[in-house]
Amino acid sequence: MALVPELVTAEAEPEADAEALTALADWCVRFSPAVAVDAPDGLFLDVTGVDHLWRGEAQMLADFRSRLITNGLPFRCAIADTPGSAWALAHFGKDGTIAPSGEHEPLLASLPPAALRLDRETWAQIERLGLRQVSQLVAIPRAPFGRRFGRAALTRLDQALGHEAEALTFRRPPTPWFARLAFAEPISAPEDMSRVTVDVATKLCARLETEGQGARRFEVCFHRVDGKALQLSVGLSLPGRDPVRIAKLLVPKLDTLDPGFGIEVVTLRAEAVEPISGRQARLDKAREATVEEGLAPLVDRLTNRLGQERVWRAVPVESHVPELAVGRSRPLGKPSIPQTWNREIPRPTRLFRRPEPVDSVIALTPDDPPTQFRWRGQVHRVHRAEGPERIGEDWWKGQIEDADVGHIRDYYRLEDTKGGRFWLFRAGLYGDPATPPKWWLHGLFG
Amino acid sequence: MSDFRIRGLATLKAKIAAIEAGGRSEPKFLPFGDERIDGCLPGGGLPLGRWHEIGGTGIEVETAAAPTAFTALLAAPLTQQGEVVWVLRRDDLSAPGLLGLGFAPERLIQVCARDEAEALSVMEDALATVGVAAVVGETEVIDLTAGRRLQLACEKQGATGFLIHRRPYGGQARRETTGSAAATRWRIASAPSEPRAGEFGLGAPRFVAELERCRGGRTGAWLFEATDAYCWEKTDVAHPLRLVADLGDRQLAPAQPLRLAG
Repeated sequence: MALVPELVTAEAEPEADAEALTALADWCVRFSPAVAVDAPDGLFLDVTGVDHLWRGEAQMLADFRSRLITNGLPFRCAIADTPGSAWALAHFGKDGTIAPSGEHEPLLASLPPAALRLDRETWAQIERLGLRQVSQLVAIPRAPFGRRFGRAALTRLDQALGHEAEALTFRRPPTPWFARLAFAEPISAPEDMSRVTVDVATKLCARLETEGQGARRFEVCFHRVDGKALQLSVGLSLPGRDPVRIAKLLVPKLDTLDPGFGIEVVTLRAEAVEPISGRQARLDKAREATVEEGLAPLVDRLTNRLGQERVWRAVPVESHVPELAVGRSRPLGKPSIPQTWNREIPRPTRLFRRPEPVDSVIALTPDDPPTQFRWRGQVHRVHRAEGPERIGEDWWKGQIEDADVGHIRDYYRLEDTKGGRFWLFRAGLYGDPATPPKWWLHGLFG
Repeated sequence: MSDFRIRGLATLKAKIAAIEAGGRSEPKFLPFGDERIDGCLPGGGLPLGRWHEIGGTGIEVETAAAPTAFTALLAAPLTQQGEVVWVLRRDDLSAPGLLGLGFAPERLIQVCARDEAEALSVMEDALATVGVAAVVGETEVIDLTAGRRLQLACEKQGATGFLIHRRPYGGQARRETTGSAAATRWRIASAPSEPRAGEFGLGAPRFVAELERCRGGRTGAWLFEATDAYCWEKTDVAHPLRLVADLGDRQLAPAQPLRLAG
């Protein structure tokens, strides 16, 4: 510090760096859907099969560079056959190198051994032995090399040279179902945004249709001029590929996006792609409507508007505990479950999520139904009663120590003098003066 | 009235019905299977492809248990024709309870709306959908415009709407709107059940149903029993609700409906 007083220092912020790197990875989706983060400071883009969108790798890299420079980010980049050699070239080669396909080995040869992504100790050892270039390492027979520097070093060498495949953890699994539209001029008007949504959906759906596929999830991503990526997603209850329908689900959500200074690229990804049978459009209008025409769009509209958890179909769950006996499934899942609830055991039409306490209960011990109770300040005189129906907890599912006699519930179906039908239960048993049983109202029959 | 005038009146009624239907298909009805009530309803049954208001009394305005059970019984025959969408504000509807009343829960789609306006718009959306036979919604009040919109949605595919008036817990009573586009308006209260001779406990659920408004029909009040509730065997009746007694036109005696039932 004393030597270089003008040196600017800043505290290291690893979390902020990681966050920024993730944001940059999201931004890179405009170039390729498969982006892997190489912590702490690198990114891998799998550009296989996307460079033709820029008419070649050189143009693509040029575009990439100019955009990063505009954003003021210092960087080095390279394109090569394997992630390992691309890493080596980007870190130690000439910035912006594009290794022609199959010819990365000569380019790697002159690089220092550190380019192989070795850990510090191995690298230091190699340097100590006077090996200064990758070519010297390649020349060493494999067996002694592995014995001397460890299996990891050998793997790294193979990965760089392409003898061994390397699995990258992409931020999103690469999907071939991807469509992209770039604009000559940035757009920002809401009507333009909804129009390009339809356009990009049409583009992707045409591909889906030719290959007989449909998707359950669509993710649209608007890339702003300033490098932010705005995402929206919609889900379908049945796999589909109707661009108008998909756009209709997306368009109402566009209001939530802020286009800022404009949007220059829009991408659409289809997820959960599965084959769907082509269906002939109906010739005969009088025939019965199919699920695809009526219910599925309705369920999609509702789930995308209200959220998945607000639209459901009740399905039986094997449990005696009333609040656990009902599960929720997707509305258009597999219908017709073989088992169902027992119709002969009366259950209330309104089941409170939390039982409500009742007081002033007059009941003969130990097992007689109440003759009177008070709920919400109103006294109900019981006219007719049924019960008890004893329901214990599912003790076999939890810890055996947690099972307690206080969790036993004795349910009574009661009818008061006015005809109101109630489902009361007594939690616990009589006998222990320390924990007297409590009475609760769990539901109403109506 | 002379024969000629009666016939003239019938033609006129048919014409008005045709205009109201707006050139759409024949209106359908769901008969209760008892002349005492079917005679009061236009067309001899509960009009389908319309919407109906169902309210409760006392605490039931908030819990809506009896109106729910009654609606499920009314809509139970419709589950054979298509899906039923139930738009809730509180998700305390219990599917096993509906099954006990003979309402098939495998045809039921439940939707929990965030506010009243959303509940109404979801209802409207669902009513206009192919493959939906009935839509049940729970809101506190409905104004004329919203009611008219529901009616238009009903007419699109012939689905039937049921609107249960339900006030949020602890909410202040709001003024009820006087006019309504609904075909019928019911007020439902539970009535003490009558177990069969030699049986203990509770009998089949009974309801006092007061028909407060009925377009093109007469009002009345009846005592119903859901005879088939909570058993697998079905008795040989068309409708799950059996009429026990006619309580007369607007002479409801809620204090002692049992005596009338006897």
